[in-house]
Amino acid sequence: MTRNEAEIKLKRIFGFDKFYDEQWKTIELLLRGERVLLIERTGYGKSLCFQFPATQFNGTTVIFSPLIALMRDQVNSLNKKGISAKYINSEQTHEENSQVIQNAIDGKIKILYIAPERQENQEWIEATRKMNLSMIVIDEAHTISVWGHDFRPAFRRIINLVQLLPKELPILATTATATIRVQADIEQQISGNLTTIRGNLLRENFNLFVIETKSEDEKLLWLAENINNIPGTGLLYTGTRVNTEIYARWFDFVGIDSTDYNAGLDGDTRKEIEIGLMSNKWKCVVSTNALGMGIDKPDIRFIIHTQIPASPIHYYQEIGRAGRDGQKTYIILFYNSNKDDDGIPEDTKLPKAFIDGGRPNIKKYQKVIDALKLEQFSVRQLMKKTNMKQTQIRVIKADLVDQGIIKEVIYGKSKMYEYQYNAPELNTEKFDKLRKAKLKDLDSMVDYVFTKEPRMTFLCEYLGDKLPGKFENCDNTKYRKRLVKPRQSTIEKLKEFRETYFPVLPMAPSTSKKVNENSELSVRIPKGTYIEVYKNHILLENVKTIDEVDTIKSLDSSEKEYLSKLISHHISYKEKLADGVASSYYGVSNVGSALHRCKYENGGDFPDFLLKLTLKAFRKTFGDRHFDLIVYVPPTSSGELVKNFAEKISYVLKVPISHKLVKQRETQPQKVFQNGYLKRDNVEGAFTYTEPDEIINKSILLVDDIFDSGATIKEIGKLLTNFGANHIVPLVIARTVGGDI
Amino acid sequence: MNNIKQEYAYWIALAHLPKMKTARKNELIVKCFEEKLSIVDFFHCEISDWHKLFSLNENEILLFNDAKKELPNYSFLVENLLEQGYDIIPITSPDYSPIMKSNLKRAYSPPLIYTKGNKQIMKENSVAIVGSRKAEDISLEFTDNIAKTASRDYKVVVSGFAKGVDKQALDSAIRYKGQSIIVLPQGITTFTSGYKKYYKQIVDGDVLVLSTFFPKAPWSVQLAMARNPIIYGLAKEIYVAESSKKGGTWSGVVDGLRKGRNIYVRTPLISEDNANNLLIQKGAIPVDIEGNKVEDYSISEIKESVALESSSAYDDIDTRIVKLLSQGAYTSKEIIGRLKIDWPTGKLTNYLKQNKNVEAVNKKSPIKFTIKGKRNLQQSLF
Repeated sequence: MTRNEAEIKLKRIFGFDKFYDEQWKTIELLLRGERVLLIERTGYGKSLCFQFPATQFNGTTVIFSPLIALMRDQVNSLNKKGISAKYINSEQTHEENSQVIQNAIDGKIKILYIAPERQENQEWIEATRKMNLSMIVIDEAHTISVWGHDFRPAFRRIINLVQLLPKELPILATTATATIRVQADIEQQISGNLTTIRGNLLRENFNLFVIETKSEDEKLLWLAENINNIPGTGLLYTGTRVNTEIYARWFDFVGIDSTDYNAGLDGDTRKEIEIGLMSNKWKCVVSTNALGMGIDKPDIRFIIHTQIPASPIHYYQEIGRAGRDGQKTYIILFYNSNKDDDGIPEDTKLPKAFIDGGRPNIKKYQKVIDALKLEQFSVRQLMKKTNMKQTQIRVIKADLVDQGIIKEVIYGKSKMYEYQYNAPELNTEKFDKLRKAKLKDLDSMVDYVFTKEPRMTFLCEYLGDKLPGKFENCDNTKYRKRLVKPRQSTIEKLKEFRETYFPVLPMAPSTSKKVNENSELSVRIPKGTYIEVYKNHILLENVKTIDEVDTIKSLDSSEKEYLSKLISHHISYKEKLADGVASSYYGVSNVGSALHRCKYENGGDFPDFLLKLTLKAFRKTFGDRHFDLIVYVPPTSSGELVKNFAEKISYVLKVPISHKLVKQRETQPQKVFQNGYLKRDNVEGAFTYTEPDEIINKSILLVDDIFDSGATIKEIGKLLTNFGANHIVPLVIARTVGGDI
Repeated sequence: MNNIKQEYAYWIALAHLPKMKTARKNELIVKCFEEKLSIVDFFHCEISDWHKLFSLNENEILLFNDAKKELPNYSFLVENLLEQGYDIIPITSPDYSPIMKSNLKRAYSPPLIYTKGNKQIMKENSVAIVGSRKAEDISLEFTDNIAKTASRDYKVVVSGFAKGVDKQALDSAIRYKGQSIIVLPQGITTFTSGYKKYYKQIVDGDVLVLSTFFPKAPWSVQLAMARNPIIYGLAKEIYVAESSKKGGTWSGVVDGLRKGRNIYVRTPLISEDNANNLLIQKGAIPVDIEGNKVEDYSISEIKESVALESSSAYDDIDTRIVKLLSQGAYTSKEIIGRLKIDWPTGKLTNYLKQNKNVEAVNKKSPIKFTIKGKRNLQQSLF
């Protein structure tokens, strides 16, 4: 096919007149059955380089992409052009994915997007035996390199696959972010007869700013006063999930229109937010960096980071999602340069913790190896056997698989880990090397903060771009530096926020039921008083009683019938736990350190400020509620602390306290256990209430000091429900961050 | 394409190509070997080369064209197998069982095998112990004895993981800390409970699981039958604990005898109702319950005698043929004439084709044979 012929087809199918030269160069190679690595900036039009040839091939083109949002966008837009495209990912139900797989086998799909993790799925592997495959595409190819900014173990298998694919099958790898080192790594891994096409990665429409602060509060203050002055809508990236919540609540508090988003939300909620983002529903979406990658929104007008990313390439990748339309775009990075007593800058702590905590210590690796030398285990069995967190096990198993020491073997529907005969010794040098490289990357990121040269020049040099000229689009060149000079009223406001913001303990159970293919209903009773009704995970309405179900207009009669049954079932069988409240997160204020002193350093009773804060949290959330009884979690090792604390609460609230919730067997302190399975086992059947008749029809306030996995609260909730409690509301001093499972 | 793994999808395409005999597949592999071409080169040959170099007929070309379309699909399968720790071993690989190659030769050696565990086991001297699924206690005792001796002598015990004798052979080898090969009557990935049960032995390198079938194939009677020759192929010595007059053991032994293998059969007690004596009369070597040769075995005691050359007759002919062929190359007819052997020409030709000491000099009839290794010094595939 000549370029001319191709461009006639391009016009007809995609509506574009011409290819860029590098697009055509790529397409020509692919049509000849060759392998190409294409490095072009976000918004260049990389997708067309596989979409067009895919329409020209007989069979199906498979695109491995880690980005669910991108899949959705591209599939929608391809379908609008009349090209049969589908995706397979965790957002769809099992049935939906199976249907897509069947369509692919039947040859009904030209372009199929799939998450790399799916390569571990047997149904998919079975399907790949029957499909007519015409091209393989690896999107976001930098994720196959450990030297890249977002290495994903699942991509290791895609690389293995690529190395096994026959000659003459076209393969395209694309990325918008690759340093020269990452490029070389990708080239070496894809191997075969590979052509690399690399364009310029710079973005001239960015206005780059760095705002140095002396505290976390200064970030909140500057944003409250300035974010509404930035034109358009955009994204605010925080370093942690907890911070997405805190920043979003703060924005609510000061009247900035925002919502929070993180990977912990369920798929439907995420989808809702992504759709809202597209339609500029909020001034700003507060998110971890999980959002925005792959979203085809050309007019994200600003991206603000409250934390420095792990390296300039992470940063380049994340800001690359903004301003794809070429219009002026604000890129702002906060950096808290305040140093702690040891002289370590506050804002390097989180990324350093990720680097150091990214790998468990070597003893833990050995523990896993030793266990697997004797027996095959599933992840869950390994967690129980070794008492490790799921996150640790995940890292360890990925490393051990990577080094060929263990294998993940699929038997029917279960995945087992097996030690390999003649396996090599664990190579820890690799880890050290990687750690050092990451620390160096982090140093470079800090260099970006303090650089005096044009910021775009700094980023381009880091990426290995050839520079076409001088940049003047940053606060080192044409624009003035932004400083934090908050008004007194804003400072007051933040103080007020700090004292009235209390984390929720999501303990109220929910019950769901699929009514038909398109409708799944679920209910929960978050406060013990009213019923939340969800349809397809979206809150529909609150009702007080089953009788009110009839008034819900958006449900048809069969759904209403289902819903009534669902509510009766929920009331009869689920624990009567409500969502509780904590006075603070454990790590983000002085609450955690005060608790630690009392519990583990013989610091005496919990100080009064904790009592005041906890009562404040209680009053704000449950102020108008009547409670019959206060019950507290009996201690394992910290003695009478919780009992004394609960007595004080009882005294202030004038609600009687009961000492009859007791242990009927020894338990270990929950913090000994590193994962939810063991925590649950530790407390299962551990409690009883000595005079159960007292409980019948009572509203109970359940007091504890620290809420972590929630396993203890859940277990007690079950017990009290069985004894006839009306509802049980947890009240704790602090909620930990990142409770496992 | 310098990586052997890149060839695996091609090997699967060839090995499981339908409607083509193993002998023909191996012939093509040998041709590649001689022409110094990889299997990848073979698949990507011009059609004219397929005609010219490999003498593929139109039908075969159609088959290979179809197989070529499935290569990407097989790549996915290969990735999946390797990821799970299975080994894929083509016949050209140095890991391939040399014993099987020399036993089954070009005609029957499977072009591709799948394994899990310590593949070095295939290089050791090996003993197959075969017999009925419903064996008598005495047969199981015999099996245990043979496995014990084999394990003591560092020989690998090959068995088929059926009930009765097979299972006993495996369990005994494990008990005596020997090494075993389990030859599966199914695909390599479907042995779930076995992998759990023999996990420790596999991890320690004492058990190798092997299959020649499509990796996902479930157990079937056909595969169980097709598996038997592989057991015989992997073993240097074959011991028969108990055989009935039909079924897998019987046909396997008869086939083995026809191919000139040394097969040891347990001498049955008078009271036993099985076909062990019949096999001995067909040329198998009688052994006692410890596996020692029975020198004074008398066929006259057996009522259902079948007249056949004794194994010593074969031995004798073998020695004389080797002696003659070490002097030059001769056709079967010439050999019969010179050595005055009382055999039809066809029978001798077949016998020579199966003889591991002998090789053909040319392909077209009349074939001339000579002593192996004499013709040229170039390493040959078989």
